[in-house]
Amino acid sequence: MVSVSEGFGTEVPASARWTASAAAFTAWRDGDRDALDELVRLLSPILWQVVRATGLDRATAEDVVQNTWLTLVDNAEAISSPLAVSGWLCTTARREAWKVSKRVRREVATDGDVLSWALPAVDGPEDGIVLADDQVVLRRCLSRISERCQSLLRMLAAGPRPEYAEVSEALDMPVGSIGPTRARCLDKLRGELISEGAF
Amino acid sequence: MAGPDDDELLDAIAALWEKLDPPPDDLAEGVLARIETNDLDAELLTLVEWDKELSGVRSVAMLRAPDEVGTWSLEYLGPGFRVQLRISRSQRQARLDGWVVPAQPMTVFLTSMGAKPTTDETQVGESGRFEFPVTPTGACRLTFVSDPSSTRPLVTPPFWI
Repeated sequence: MVSVSEGFGTEVPASARWTASAAAFTAWRDGDRDALDELVRLLSPILWQVVRATGLDRATAEDVVQNTWLTLVDNAEAISSPLAVSGWLCTTARREAWKVSKRVRREVATDGDVLSWALPAVDGPEDGIVLADDQVVLRRCLSRISERCQSLLRMLAAGPRPEYAEVSEALDMPVGSIGPTRARCLDKLRGELISEGAF
Repeated sequence: MAGPDDDELLDAIAALWEKLDPPPDDLAEGVLARIETNDLDAELLTLVEWDKELSGVRSVAMLRAPDEVGTWSLEYLGPGFRVQLRISRSQRQARLDGWVVPAQPMTVFLTSMGAKPTTDETQVGESGRFEFPVTPTGACRLTFVSDPSSTRPLVTPPFWI
């Protein structure tokens, strides 16, 4: 797993997080209760991104993250290798989020209130968040590509890279078209970044 | 074409979203409390109403900053009844007023979930009303036990006083 490139800045390299999670999971399964706290603290922010990438609102997303952990507690023995724990959690979270958003879509007209994939409005919950200069450019460039591309890229970016089969289910796209669509969306984004003189 | 490769771009997108859409501060606490509740073999009440305009980036259960004063409300749904809560916080202390609808005899426990957990106890009155005139602050939850106890206790997810 590649950590985020220097230019874009990040706090924890992803690989360190997966290794620490595997160790905490092993310790917890061996009877150390405190290790579960550590595991929850390490991976909940990732699960949050995975779930939010499916378009669910914040309150529902929090609920889905909690349910995902309950599923882990009840099915810990189903995880064959400790290194698989983060992938297993993200897959479980994505499936649960997709199930819930399907139900929400059936119940409510999608006016963007409950389900929203697009970049948040300027006065959204990210008030007061300071982005690095290159992130401001990236955000501007992302907002210029289609919403479908934005949601696909957000979903592919969140957590360990998901299987195309899962993404296909979540976005209602044929599995075979995910690879080409991903390439097309990334190329569009790259084009925008180059036209901004980002490279 | 010059520029970052696919993985670098996706990592940058992930990092951007981590900044734009951070999880609630108490996301992990909520998860741990939920796991603990599950271990208690109690049934969880569902949060159905809250002062939506106040929630901001904080968790739905943490409506106000820890030092803020004022009054805000929460409503939970259980099997066959609703619980409305009103939390009032002044500079010095906080109080909690609750209503069980329809009214029914219950014992209510208010548990603070900090480093030194405390539990207070009261009864639901004939009108369905209950109160904790002085409450702890921080993450708390309420447990409802029917009188006479016939079903599993019902607990709220953690909320902030």
